[in-house]
Amino acid sequence: MAPDPDAALMVAFQGGDEAAFRALFEKHGRATMAFCQRFVKDSARAEELAQDVFLKLHQSADRYQPSARFTTFLYRIATNHCLNEVRRGEYQARPEIDPNAEDGAPLDPDALAGPGATPEEIAHGNALSRDVQAMLARLPETQRAAFVLARFEGLAYEEIAQVLGTTVPSVKSLVHRATVSAARALESWSGKGAEA
Amino acid sequence: MTRNEAHVADDLTALLDGALDPVRRAEVEGHLSACDACRAERDGIARALSAFAALPPPPPPPPGFEQRFYARLAREAPRRRSFLERLSAHPFRWLVPATGLAAALAVGIWVRQAGERADLEMARHLDLLENYVEVASLGVVETPEDLEVVAHLDELREGRP
Repeated sequence: MAPDPDAALMVAFQGGDEAAFRALFEKHGRATMAFCQRFVKDSARAEELAQDVFLKLHQSADRYQPSARFTTFLYRIATNHCLNEVRRGEYQARPEIDPNAEDGAPLDPDALAGPGATPEEIAHGNALSRDVQAMLARLPETQRAAFVLARFEGLAYEEIAQVLGTTVPSVKSLVHRATVSAARALESWSGKGAEA
Repeated sequence: MTRNEAHVADDLTALLDGALDPVRRAEVEGHLSACDACRAERDGIARALSAFAALPPPPPPPPGFEQRFYARLAREAPRRRSFLERLSAHPFRWLVPATGLAAALAVGIWVRQAGERADLEMARHLDLLENYVEVASLGVVETPEDLEVVAHLDELREGRP
């Protein structure tokens, strides 16, 4: 396995180097917030969850073993924290809607679609995002976690197994069942991507 | 029906994710070449995966994301304190000199009474034992570095290097 520069930063932080911790937050904080948004969608709450994750990381740094990839350790904390949040039930199927928008579009559509997107692409992306979020909210929690880690974070099945504390065959089954559910829920979107 | 002839729906997502081992991959692909139902299932999953590729990235955090976190960190996360700082902040820190004095007296009496060469040899290490008894009673020995500080507590108290 290639040396993990983040692991070196984490070890430096274990030794008391606060600048190393800040370097880790500046590298992974925004991605952690994006990950949390797959579970709550409310951006203010997602930011708060991402902050919680890094506070936990700060407090539990002594438990980190450099033999594990830093991102695996981080995803484990983040996944557990987000699933605890989902278990409260408060945020299920709660898309982030701008109350002032006439058509119920998500907040800041320009930021959602990225630079250079046409109005049609923005509308397509927003509508698909809402349907995906609703689909995610209906998945059982471990399927949801496995699906997000595989589809949006791009983790290999082996790493997902480490994050979720389960086996690779179990991850394979979780990802498959979630993907089939997603394929059925989003059937009307299949093939629309090229048309938009 | 042999395994090769059985439907392979459960392996289709792993196939598309490139997560099957070569032997199983060859079996699944062999089955797909002869099974319309499994091919249709695979194509449906592949279309869904393409739809996900059209998803826009999540919106970036609002400006000031890092600053808000650092402010919260400063408020809520205790600074990682050294062993001596934790010791000096302990509510029962007065027990350190009291316990140390009691331990020193007990050790002194015990050494005097024993008077044997083997015990004298042990007494050479009693300062370490004494330091440990003092601080372990406070429950602040947590890491190997803490033990190192225990070993040199007398030097640290006296400001010796």
